Amino acid sequence: MTTLTLPPLSLAARRSRVLGVVRRDFAALRRSPIRMFEILFWPTVELLLWGFVTVFLQSQKVPFVVAFLIGAVLLWQVLQKASNEISIAFLEDIWSRNLLNVQVSPLSSVEYLVGLVLFSLGKVAFAVAVMAGLAYALYGFGVTSLGVGLVPFMGVLLMLGWSLGLVGIAAVLRFGENAQVIAWSLVFVVQPLAGIFYPVSVLPEPLQAVSWFLPASHVFEGMRTVMAGGAVPWDRLAWAAGLNVAYLAATLGLFAWALSYARRHGKLSRFGD
Amino acid sequence: MAILEAAHLAKRFGPVTAVHDLSLTVGEGEVAGLLGPNGAGKSTTLHMLLGLITPDAGTITMFGMELARHRIEVLSRVNFAASYVDLPGPLLVQEVLDAFARLYAVRRPAARVAEMIELLELGPLRRRRVMDLSSGQRTRVQLAKALVNAPQLLVLDEPTANLDPDAGDRIRGLLSRVARESGSAMLITSHNMREVERMCDRIHFMAEGRVVAAGSAEELAGRYGAEDLEEVFLKVARG
Ligand SMILES: Nc1ncnc2c1ncn2[C@@H]1O[C@H](COP(=O)(O)OP(=O)(O)OP(=O)(O)O)[C@@H](O)[C@H]1O
Ligand SMILES: [Mg+2]
Repeated sequence: MTTLTLPPLSLAARRSRVLGVVRRDFAALRRSPIRMFEILFWPTVELLLWGFVTVFLQSQKVPFVVAFLIGAVLLWQVLQKASNEISIAFLEDIWSRNLLNVQVSPLSSVEYLVGLVLFSLGKVAFAVAVMAGLAYALYGFGVTSLGVGLVPFMGVLLMLGWSLGLVGIAAVLRFGENAQVIAWSLVFVVQPLAGIFYPVSVLPEPLQAVSWFLPASHVFEGMRTVMAGGAVPWDRLAWAAGLNVAYLAATLGLFAWALSYARRHGKLSRFGD
Repeated sequence: MAILEAAHLAKRFGPVTAVHDLSLTVGEGEVAGLLGPNGAGKSTTLHMLLGLITPDAGTITMFGMELARHRIEVLSRVNFAASYVDLPGPLLVQEVLDAFARLYAVRRPAARVAEMIELLELGPLRRRRVMDLSSGQRTRVQLAKALVNAPQLLVLDEPTANLDPDAGDRIRGLLSRVARESGSAMLITSHNMREVERMCDRIHFMAEGRVVAAGSAEELAGRYGAEDLEEVFLKVARG
């Protein structure tokens, strides 16, 4: 063996490969101003939209805590971005016909996903920081009003987002490029069920049961509790975290199965045709 | 010593038998050609060797390791370029090469990328976006990517398909030089018979998913009573 490359199974080699994914995605982002713009566009639009809704509701003397909606928009963006950024990063390899180059490299699936997750974390953090600034400037909403719950709230949503993103990628691997619509839209299935803009109690009974199994529901319920002056509901967050671990394990399995399906059916070289 | 041994590979896609009971070896430093008509199963074979397609049957051993069990170790020592793949368009040439140097866990990415830029005469293109390059220029960038880990086996699927005769000739010269100097083995498909004659030590002819003849260009010409490889091709392809 040459000394040109690190021993392939060493930690240093793994770090190098993960870093390769991150650096590539970062370079791609830096070279496409449109994508930079997009990171900020939707969060800003949603923030303005819901911000005006709250202003209107207040003017109608609806008894209501303004911060609920603004906080909900912020946290919702964490979930949506975490999910979409992961699938986009994968889809970009398909769009640029680079998928085979990545797939014949020694990058393992786990390393690839870790790279995508790390990079998406950066993007989510950036978008959230900008939104938090805007929410404060426009509506006087400080994210710190979420208290110590903020970190676990976001953590639960990020993890759920990764699971949803993985389902999107798996769908593309299994059903082909047209399934990318699943990658975009899956997160919106969660939206009405997770009690984001209203308490879960407004849902019909059976849907309430479903929402109990959505980690996101516990975050948004918890957020409202904290904002109303209550304590962070750690028990519910622990349940949500447990669900997340189970879902992530299941979706990783799904991804592995979809990749093996694509390899068995020769699909990897058929994307983009 | 063989660095690649494929035994009894088979692959079906629904009703289509793409590859049937195919066995193939490539020796250290050998430049091997895979020839055959459209749809003969060449790309499918290469993709199985690269782990992109899982064979229905058969085994693939490289560097004494089974691909299915040692994917990461094997793929670290292999690389690939093809006319139908591309590199991320928005990235600068230099950024692409840097990313792949890291994906192959090259110890000193910056130095290695500089070497590749020098080797493929990419200096003036270093800071240009891949999407803005001509197809000939892109091919050079792809080859720089494909050589970045100094692979012991380089798999090339119609590497010169998009090139004008002059650019194609330069690439062939470069690949021959790399094979000579670095001892890298190559497995190449091409529909350009002169290219194969010039570059390949050994040629495997495929038809309908099988290897139907193998040998050097002269051996094959002799065996089929043909003037050159082109004539061999026509005779083999037309039965
Ligand atoms: N992913 C796939 N799904 C279905 N059929 C496939 C797939 N890949 C290849 N085939 C079929 O398998 C056969 C062999 O195809 P392959 O691409 O390996 O041929 P080839 O020798 O590379 O041809 P060419 O010279 O045209 O590149 C063809 O009949 C093709 O239609
Ligand atoms: Mg082919």
